[in-house]
Amino acid sequence: MTEIRYRRLLALYPRDFRQEYGDEMLGVLMADPRPGPAQAFDVARGAVAAHFRGLWAGESRAARVVQIFGAMLLFAVALRRLVSELYVTVRHYAEVGTQYIEVTSWVRVLAWGVALAAALLGWRLLGAAGASAGLAGEILVPARSYVETPATVLYAYWLIVSAALVLIAGLVADRGTARPRGWQWIVAASTVLVVQGVLAPPLRTGAYDLQWIIVLVAVVLAAMAIFRQERRLRTRLLCWAAPVVATVPVIEFGFGEFIVYNMGHPESTHMINPVQWAVLGLAPAAVFIGASLLDRRGRLAEGGHAAA
Amino acid sequence: MNEPTFLILTALAGEARHGYAVIEDVEGMTGGRVRLRAGTLYAALDRLRGEGLIEVDREEVVQSRLRRYYRLTGAGEQSLAAETARLREQATIAEGRLRARRADFGGATA
Repeated sequence: MTEIRYRRLLALYPRDFRQEYGDEMLGVLMADPRPGPAQAFDVARGAVAAHFRGLWAGESRAARVVQIFGAMLLFAVALRRLVSELYVTVRHYAEVGTQYIEVTSWVRVLAWGVALAAALLGWRLLGAAGASAGLAGEILVPARSYVETPATVLYAYWLIVSAALVLIAGLVADRGTARPRGWQWIVAASTVLVVQGVLAPPLRTGAYDLQWIIVLVAVVLAAMAIFRQERRLRTRLLCWAAPVVATVPVIEFGFGEFIVYNMGHPESTHMINPVQWAVLGLAPAAVFIGASLLDRRGRLAEGGHAAA
Repeated sequence: MNEPTFLILTALAGEARHGYAVIEDVEGMTGGRVRLRAGTLYAALDRLRGEGLIEVDREEVVQSRLRRYYRLTGAGEQSLAAETARLREQATIAEGRLRARRADFGGATA
C-alpha cells in the first residue's frame, strides 16, 4: 500500500490523535511488510476506537465527581426539608400539630442517603437504586399538587434535573471508593443548606429573603468545589452542571408568564401543554450536548494552538 | 489486562523501544504467534500513556520521520509485576492439576 493511501486511512483518526501519533504510525505502516485489507481494517478500527475514546475520555471520572457531589447536595436538600418540618412542628406544635411532617421527606432523605453512601463506596447498583428512588420522590411530590398548582412542578424542575443527572452520572461513573478534591466545599455547602431549614423555616416572617441569601452562599461554596478541580475535569463538571443552571432561564423566560397568569387566575388555571413538557424534557439534554460540543471545540482549538 | 497490553508492557520492560521495535519484540517473544498491527499498537500505547503505565523516553527523526521511544513507568512496572504474579499463580494451579490428572490416569492404567 502506498504512503498516500496510508495517509488517507490515518485521516480517519481524530485530529489530536493524528497530531500525536500520525507520523509514527505512518513510519510503522510503511515498515510493516503486511500491507493489505487486514492492515487497512486494523487502522480503520483503531480510528473508530480513538473517536469513541476521545468522546469518553475523562467522562467516567467526571461522572464520579458529579455523582458524589450531586448526591451530597441532594441529600442536604432533602435533610433541610426534613429539619425545617421538624423545627416548625416542635416550635409550633400547639398551632400546627404534625401537619408539616411529610412521610415523603423521610423517604427522600433515606433515598439520597443511600445514593450518597453508594457514591462514596463506588457501588453502582445501590447508587442507581438510591438515585432512582430519590428522583421518583422529587417528581412525585410536586406531581401530587400539579392539578391545583401546576407551577409546583416548575419550582421543582431544577431538583428533578439534578436528580436525573446524579442517576445518569452514577451509571457511567468509575467504580471503587473515591474522595474527590474539594469535597470539603461541598460538605460546607450542604451544611449551609441544612442549617437553612432552621434559620429560615416556612413560618418565619421574612424567611423568604433569608432563604435565598443562604442558598446563594451554598451555591458559591459548591462553585468553589468545582473551581478547585484540575482544568480538564473542571470544564467537564461545568458541562454536567450546565443543565441545572439552565433550568433558571428556562423557567424564568419560558414559563414566567404562565406562572404569573396562574397566580392571578386560580379559577381558570392553565396546565403545562405538550410542547412545554417537551421543552422541559429536552432542554437539559440539549444544554448538556451544547456545552460538551463547546468544550470539545475548545480542546481541539487548544490542541491546534499547542501543535502550531 | 489483555494479551496485547501484557506483551507491550513486557516488550518495554526490557528497554525503551519505538513502535516497530515493539511489534518485532512481541513477535519474537511469542514465537511469531502474535504480530501486532499499527492500529492496535497505537491504540494500546495511547491508552497506556493515558493510564500512566508508559511514557515517552526520547524522540529522534529517522528518514525525516518522527520515531518515538517509549519506556515503562513505575506504575507500569507495578502493573506488569501484578499481572505476571497473577498469571504465574494460575499457571501453577493448572500445572498442579495436570500433574494430578496424569498421576490419576497413570494409576488407572497401571
